[in-house]
Amino acid sequence: MKPMFLPEIENSPQPGGRGDMIRLMRSSGKEYPQIWHLFAYRPKATDLLGGFTQEIMRGESPLSPGLRELIAAFTSAGNHCPF
Amino acid sequence: MPHIKLPEGFPGIRGPMAFSPTTTKPLRELAEVLLHAPNTLSPGERELIATYVSSLNDCHYCQSCHGSTAAHHLGGNFELVDNVKQDFESATVSDKLKALLVIAGKVQKSGKAVTSEDVERARRQGATDREIHDTVLIAAAFCMYNRYVDGLATWAPRDFEVYRAIGAKTAKEGYLRPGGEEPIGQEIRS
Repeated sequence: MKPMFLPEIENSPQPGGRGDMIRLMRSSGKEYPQIWHLFAYRPKATDLLGGFTQEIMRGESPLSPGLRELIAAFTSAGNHCPF
Repeated sequence: MPHIKLPEGFPGIRGPMAFSPTTTKPLRELAEVLLHAPNTLSPGERELIATYVSSLNDCHYCQSCHGSTAAHHLGGNFELVDNVKQDFESATVSDKLKALLVIAGKVQKSGKAVTSEDVERARRQGATDREIHDTVLIAAAFCMYNRYVDGLATWAPRDFEVYRAIGAKTAKEGYLRPGGEEPIGQEIRS
């Protein structure tokens, strides 16, 4: 995998779910999405993003989760973000 | 006129925030962590980054609120805020902040516009990985807030005094204050 701009972020996953997933994938030599590093770096900020995403994607809404994921996928495609 | 029916009398982001409390909570908490909580970048510097990105996105409400909040953090220096928006390279801010504003401006265009040279420049000026990380996250988050505000065509007051009052209160109390969803005028009355 290509190194990220900020080595400190790659090299200092904080304890917790994401950090454990990173260590697991690394030890098995598998590739994984580097957004995990962003979520493992400053959980205090990014856990809030996770909560926000959960609420807006899975919370009560007249739009089905599938339709909401389609909107997210369409926007990400527009932003040229393959992940 | 907002595109959807929002509670009346709430300016800018406060309209959709009052409309949708469950999504509002994490949005407010994120603003608090990014802009107000302790950080090696001062609240004034972080508010300047938010203001600059909001001005690039042409979001009147956000650049006015956060510009005023930045000015209050910076000893009431509204002129500096205007200078940063117009031409930050010649504004009287640190070389480190200038380098971070370059990165923030690139994030506003597209995440992919940020280059390793931009990151190198920030590092040369003493920015830590944490500060570069936070700059990118503030810029990205404000593209979200700006688009939330303008994508729903929310109403934004034109009276500068309103923003002066909002900025004074936010600089002092942050983003988690109770009653943060009150209609306009609360800051001026209190």
